[in-house]
Amino acid sequence: MNLPKKVIDFIDARIGIRDILQQNLTEYLLPRNVNVWYTLGAVLLALFGIQFITGILLLIYYVPNTDQAFASVQRIMNEVPFGWLIRYVHAVGANIIVLALLLHMLSVLFMGSYKQPRELTWVAGFIILLMSLGMCLTGYLLPWSQLSFWATTVATESSNEIPLVGDAVVRFLRGGAMVGQPTLGRFFALHVMGFPFIFGLIVALHLFCVRRVGISRPPFGPEYEPREPPSTFRHEHHEGGIPFFPNYVVKDVAVICFFLALLFGVVFFAPGLFFPPAAFAPADPFLTPEGIKPEWYFLWAYQVLKIFPSEFLGLAVQGLFVTFLLLLPFIDRGRERRPTRRPLFLTLFLAGLAVFIGLSVWGHYS
Amino acid sequence: MNRIAGRRYLSLALLLWSGWLLAGAAVAGTAPETVCIQCHGGQTGRLQKPVEQWRASIHSRNGISCHNCHGGDPTDFGMAMSPERGFVGAPEKTAIPDFCGRCHVGVKADYQQSAHGRALGSGGPQCVTCHGNHAVTEASLDLINSEACSRCHEYGRAKVLREALGKTDGMISGLEDDFRKLRRVGIDVKELSDRTFALRNQFHRLFHSVDVEQVRSRSAGFQGDLEKVGAEVDSIRATLQQRKATGGIVVGLLVVMGILAMLIRKIYADEESAGPSSRNG
Repeated sequence: MNLPKKVIDFIDARIGIRDILQQNLTEYLLPRNVNVWYTLGAVLLALFGIQFITGILLLIYYVPNTDQAFASVQRIMNEVPFGWLIRYVHAVGANIIVLALLLHMLSVLFMGSYKQPRELTWVAGFIILLMSLGMCLTGYLLPWSQLSFWATTVATESSNEIPLVGDAVVRFLRGGAMVGQPTLGRFFALHVMGFPFIFGLIVALHLFCVRRVGISRPPFGPEYEPREPPSTFRHEHHEGGIPFFPNYVVKDVAVICFFLALLFGVVFFAPGLFFPPAAFAPADPFLTPEGIKPEWYFLWAYQVLKIFPSEFLGLAVQGLFVTFLLLLPFIDRGRERRPTRRPLFLTLFLAGLAVFIGLSVWGHYS
Repeated sequence: MNRIAGRRYLSLALLLWSGWLLAGAAVAGTAPETVCIQCHGGQTGRLQKPVEQWRASIHSRNGISCHNCHGGDPTDFGMAMSPERGFVGAPEKTAIPDFCGRCHVGVKADYQQSAHGRALGSGGPQCVTCHGNHAVTEASLDLINSEACSRCHEYGRAKVLREALGKTDGMISGLEDDFRKLRRVGIDVKELSDRTFALRNQFHRLFHSVDVEQVRSRSAGFQGDLEKVGAEVDSIRATLQQRKATGGIVVGLLVVMGILAMLIRKIYADEESAGPSSRNG
């Protein structure tokens, strides 16, 4: 008997690992008409894993100190073996994750998969999106470049617009009157410990909800009929469906490979795509760089703030929009999930997408 | 019960909403400016013009603001132009070389020894004559041209000087362009850039000597040093090319793996369409 089998037998005898794998892989059935959009969850898990590993590797050499942070990143990029690759994969990977998260959210919206009984899955997923943006924001400061410093200065300064508590919020975020060592310390702690810890728990909750409730059936095809939502818990089985492993996992693997090809394509052939020149100059509190723009996924928000006469009003509109999306499953209670049978939803969906893209392009060129 | 649930949803919404406010704030606002810019920028005509000119200048790009030359307090409207805070106004023409020379020390020394410098006070040019004042442009060979030089003397001698400086200046510009491109992909070129900047500054001092023979005799030395920097830049470029070649292989392999996985999925899909009996053989 070979060693791996002995090890598996040993574990199986104690915790029944074969049974767990069987229930969750080969005997776990997906709807027969499951489509490619359902692979985005696996893509995101793979990308989060890469962020986690590259983040740990960067931590080995990164120094969270205003005097040494920029130099330590320069050392990672220029002296540490494959440091440039690790840092670029981490930084570009963050952008690819936001892209995949948006696609995942849009596909769930389009197919109405957020509806009862999957409200908790949606809320957990939406919090994952918000926390990912939070991690992007806190990670932005860490290289202590001109871009980092001024983006954070402007970001924290704008919190002043919040009525009554604005000044206190600015001081709380910065840890003082100006962006400096206390700010870097706070953002570093949040980026490497605070956010990832809570993030991990919410991802676990999201996956638990997905597995516990069961994969939603795509609302397409002549056989699809909307069902009455259950009043008590019921796992959605897909009798006669396709096995998750290996039948659907190979599709997950295919799409993961394509996303990784995109990630490494940018890393190797267009590494400066997400880095303006100010990202490669050390922070200088006495020199304001020209034309600093937010990352592409914040451009729509940036443009909204420019459109409204008051910054607070712009922030309030964004807040209301985000709250609306978060609570959408509790607002949209209809049973129907087929997009063609939901003309109002479809119109709002397409209009919202057009406004998002339009505002982002406007923000980029404004 | 519904009211309690409603309150919980409201609390959650408020929590996330305030989080979004902070994240959204990341993209708002602009950095504050000095009181000099705020005040003069809001005026019209003669008092506003320096701000407009300065914004397009090399000083502005390098973070040199009004108070760096004129002194004063850039944080206090009341004391911004107070001599007590070191404010000095516009210098007399003959005092301009000393005014600029507080920072451009070497250039000032070469200028003072040149024909231009020796003619200061008797109609000879000073810094502002060629470089402008608030709209000061980046020092380059373009400043030596028939229109500018002919204001005081015939262009012929200046043209010879410009030709003698041309090759070395072109090498420096080429290297600076290379550094910009390398920086954009995260390469640390500070050491190379500093070396080139030092060579550039030494070389630009030759401009102010307005001595063709001196330019010719010293250009070979500068060119040799710049070629050494160029060789190091070429070596970095070769490394970047290697990375791209490796990247091509990695991306190609990932695409092939993706296609293979899709083909395997197609086999499964065919089996699924054929029904369970087919899968069981």
